[in-house]
Amino acid sequence: MDIADYDVVVLGSGLAGLMSTYVIASAGYKVAVISKVFPTRSHSAAAEGGIAAYIPGNSDPNDNPDYMTYDTVKGGDYLVDQDAAELLSNESGNIVMLLESWGALFNRQPDGRVAVRYFGGQTYPRTRFIGDKTGMGLLHTLFERVSGLDKVDFYNEWFALDFVTDSNRIVGVLALQMKDMEPVFFRSKAVVVATGGMGMLYRHTTNSYINTGDGYAMALRAGAAIKDPEFVQFHPTALYPSDVLISEAARGEGAILRNAKGERFMTRYAPKKLDLAPRDIVSRAIFTEVKEGRGFPGGYVVLDLTHLGEEYIKERLALAVEAAKSFAGIDAITEPIPVRPAQHYYMGGIDVDITGRNPDIVGLFAAGEAACVSVHGANRLGSNSLLETLVFGRETGKHVVEFLKNAQEPQSQYQNETEKLLDDAYRFVKSESGVHFGEIVNKLRDVMWDYVGVFRDEGGLKNALSEINELRDMAGKMYVTDKSKVYNTEFFNALELRNMLDLALVITTSALERKESRGAHYRTDYPERDDDHWLKHTIAYLRGNTVEVTYKPVRMTRWKPEPRVY
Amino acid sequence: MKIAYYPGCATHGFAKDIDVATKKVAETLGIELVEIPDWNCCGGGFLDEYDEVTHVALNLRNLSQVEKMRMDKFATPCSVCLHSHRLAVNKYKEDRDIRERVNKKIEGTSIKYEGKATAEHIVWVLLRDVGLEKIKAHVKRPLTGLKVATYYGCQILRPEQIMGFEPAYNPHSLSDLVSATGATPVTFNEMINCCGFPLMGSNPNMGLKLAYNILNGAKKNGADLLVHTCSLCHLQFDPLHYRIKEEFKVEWTLPGIYILQLLALAFGYQPDEIGLSKLAIQVLMEKGII
Amino acid sequence: MSVQTYEVIFRIRRYSPEKGSYWQEYKLTVDRFTQFTEALRRIKTEQDPSLAYRASCHMAVCGSCGMKINGEPRLACKTLVSGIINKYGSNVITIEPMDYFPVIKDLIVDWEDFYTRMFKVKPRLYPAKEVLEGKGEHRLKPEDQRRLWKFAQCIWCGLCVSVCPVIREDPEFLGPAAHAKGYRFLTDPRDTITDERFKILSDSAWRCTYCYHCFSVCPRDIEPVTAIKKTRALTKYVKEPTNVTFNGVKHSEAIAGSIKTTGKIMESLVYLQTYGLSRSLKDLIFIAKAGRGGSLISSILEEKPVKNVSEIKKLFEG
Repeated sequence: MDIADYDVVVLGSGLAGLMSTYVIASAGYKVAVISKVFPTRSHSAAAEGGIAAYIPGNSDPNDNPDYMTYDTVKGGDYLVDQDAAELLSNESGNIVMLLESWGALFNRQPDGRVAVRYFGGQTYPRTRFIGDKTGMGLLHTLFERVSGLDKVDFYNEWFALDFVTDSNRIVGVLALQMKDMEPVFFRSKAVVVATGGMGMLYRHTTNSYINTGDGYAMALRAGAAIKDPEFVQFHPTALYPSDVLISEAARGEGAILRNAKGERFMTRYAPKKLDLAPRDIVSRAIFTEVKEGRGFPGGYVVLDLTHLGEEYIKERLALAVEAAKSFAGIDAITEPIPVRPAQHYYMGGIDVDITGRNPDIVGLFAAGEAACVSVHGANRLGSNSLLETLVFGRETGKHVVEFLKNAQEPQSQYQNETEKLLDDAYRFVKSESGVHFGEIVNKLRDVMWDYVGVFRDEGGLKNALSEINELRDMAGKMYVTDKSKVYNTEFFNALELRNMLDLALVITTSALERKESRGAHYRTDYPERDDDHWLKHTIAYLRGNTVEVTYKPVRMTRWKPEPRVY
Repeated sequence: MKIAYYPGCATHGFAKDIDVATKKVAETLGIELVEIPDWNCCGGGFLDEYDEVTHVALNLRNLSQVEKMRMDKFATPCSVCLHSHRLAVNKYKEDRDIRERVNKKIEGTSIKYEGKATAEHIVWVLLRDVGLEKIKAHVKRPLTGLKVATYYGCQILRPEQIMGFEPAYNPHSLSDLVSATGATPVTFNEMINCCGFPLMGSNPNMGLKLAYNILNGAKKNGADLLVHTCSLCHLQFDPLHYRIKEEFKVEWTLPGIYILQLLALAFGYQPDEIGLSKLAIQVLMEKGII
Repeated sequence: MSVQTYEVIFRIRRYSPEKGSYWQEYKLTVDRFTQFTEALRRIKTEQDPSLAYRASCHMAVCGSCGMKINGEPRLACKTLVSGIINKYGSNVITIEPMDYFPVIKDLIVDWEDFYTRMFKVKPRLYPAKEVLEGKGEHRLKPEDQRRLWKFAQCIWCGLCVSVCPVIREDPEFLGPAAHAKGYRFLTDPRDTITDERFKILSDSAWRCTYCYHCFSVCPRDIEPVTAIKKTRALTKYVKEPTNVTFNGVKHSEAIAGSIKTTGKIMESLVYLQTYGLSRSLKDLIFIAKAGRGGSLISSILEEKPVKNVSEIKKLFEG
């Protein structure tokens, strides 16, 4: 097997991975960026609304970083590490202006400065945006910047199998080129995991098809913990059936949710706030309507704009209109838009502190959605995810550089370890019969959606656990029908499924353990927040087929928990 | 039927035979073509690269004349003129920065465009407003046995979102018209690619190569003759045919004629009445059509 | 709301080095909302896991899923199955890999050529040192932001390159996507390497043949050909024009000049001004050979200027 030597391997080429790469390579270290896709195809590109930033001299005169931190802490239902939230706020203006200086085309005010608008949960307007494709604009700018650096090698359309460790220390990553399945051992002193989210675990998700949670599973298998795995955000209005996000802005402008009977059903669930109730409440309401038979066949409700009038809709809700047209063939001016809740974001992630460092494995770092710095707590605020990728991508990069100054060079070739990992993966191709990945993956996505979704309870979660265990057994007998060595997507889908199953087990077990409702984790059997017992982070390890759950305190600085009322 | 007519510069210039044939076909089908008073050039596909705003204004001038005639469209035999006008209208309607600059420019001129008049290709008018049945009914000289390559080129089709008459990657209008004359339509891979005319100014050798690719593709599929829809393609395939033969050392001949020349021929007009080239006449004689 | 479903036969052009190229059919029931990416995902997970294709964001921002659907170069995610059925009146739909790029497996093509083109145009901003050092801040007019953002939205999907007729013939032509990207930086007021960008872009810009394939297929409405036209419009700032650039500008100016003074393109005049007398005479001989010499010469005499030519002049100057 070929060996490639680097100082650092960065897994994932979205915003977090590229930002870390930029910092590490600029400090003179050699970086390999390994990604399943060409960098501009990463899921960061899908972010629409914007990036929150307090920019001194270009923000509301009454605003300050502390208000921003408070909004984030409250939005996260106090499961936020407050030192992380403070760092996020304090660095926000600076990082946005850095991307601007590299060419990001932020929308402008008449005087030429970066424009700003309101987003949900903000005391003052802080969201900076690039048309309706902020993530895409930032990702392209950052990729363009990093692609000009000497010390970076991109391994695009390469699939990382696993970390290679030596007594709890990173010594490299094993990866395959997807085009020809050629394995290479990337020997390195550190790994930054920036593989993004895991939406494909759920039947309905706004995430990309590539978001299969590979990084979480690799960390788990290497012995690192996932923090707060039970916290999964669902967005109430994803377009049916493509699950393209229809922004909250639509309801902000007066759109109404209706069931198949034409009823404005939110009157039953949130008589005061109605359609503008928080994301989790609206998601639960839609789910209930469909469950009780008042949804449309296929399982959706509609978002009705038609009463707003053509002119108003075109002026204020252009993006929603365009999405409905392109992806559902619906003219939103005359027809209501079919929507349903869909998985949207994963608050949980590889356990790291504000330096991006994982405490379990030396040399393991993580950033972005793959990490849990605990900046989003139990529920992420809009416009904070892009910000997190950049701020903590940069922080992680800085601390990797510090780490590298004293890190030792891995000496061995670790041939036994890498061969074993490879054999383990290849057995799917070698098998001549069994089940193929498609049968398992569709069942897994159903189980997660039905029992580990918007509503959870003990019975459902236990049911899910046994189903997931069964599916894990089935996956042991999985086989790949395509025996070709050329771009064998079936093989890689099988490997992704293995990752999804590992994470599913951890999410479900942790959700079963947390006997309260907080943010996005809603237990019908424990509908209240319980600070006395549960104001703490879940720390979950995967030991073979068992999940070991422990807890860790939330880091508080200045903000004491109070009821989350809007 | 009465319809505003925009010939365009080439149709009144090097491609005058297209003008002649178009008028003959219209006469036969009972269409009265009323030339737009004092029309100006559409920009020939080049003016927007020189001055984008003036280009839009000039095209609006023609369309505003059409509105003054109380008509809602004009027909043109030239794909480039068609394209230029439709693109200008789209830009004017969709791009607010351009619209503001154009409005400033046309202030105090005769131009008052209300956004109603549009440009259409004469082929669209024949298929949509006249209909294939009526066209077939006027065929006096069926072109049976003649294999005719249907060359669409670019500007009558693309961008599909602005031209919109037929699927840009699966067009069939020319096949329909060719079939109506009794001839056999020949499709080929290159039928929606460029004839190279727009390169004749900057990179003429490449322009000729692209024209050769079209003719070669059509010839490979067994065509005797090629029909097209554009006064500027006409210049590539007709006058430059000899040059293409010389440059690319080809033995065969594949004359390109305008689609309405083919219709006029089927309607019974004589080759010299509709300005057919010597090469085309030679092929038609060989095939026993005339 | 309709719950109509469609029984569809997908004819997919497959390829592997072992099996070569072949067509395979799949039957699937879809509803009116089903995107092609979803149809492919269902075929892969429910019927044939070996089918290989790329797809990621399913919302037309990642550029992964370019392919030919009934011969149309499209993003699979931005195309509804029901839309194609209604457009063509048939439930049999063909899916093929994009043209031009070498096929690796089934619908997956090799994009290397595309990426090489993109990096040729130095696709990144080269800002002033003061800004990079944090000593200064860019300002950008809202209208400049809008103009640049239009061309900056390229998602590297390759559809425009897959249909461009010139890149197959002319190795000097950068291709549509690279030109859109190049123009976006060339005219960014924050950029500092304008002369170098002109060197990269201007000769190539005059090699485009204005066929509008790129405009037609672009899923983000970038209009690469418009970027090329706008790049040509700036040729007067080019320091060392190549032959192609020089001829192109001469031709363009001759046309503009003719329209400005007469309201029309006086072809004989433009021809002469572009090619000079000797080349024009040579072409006239070919024209005469084609057999329409007599009628042509008389028709040129018929070219009449616009009567209200003062209005045309005003439009140019106003």
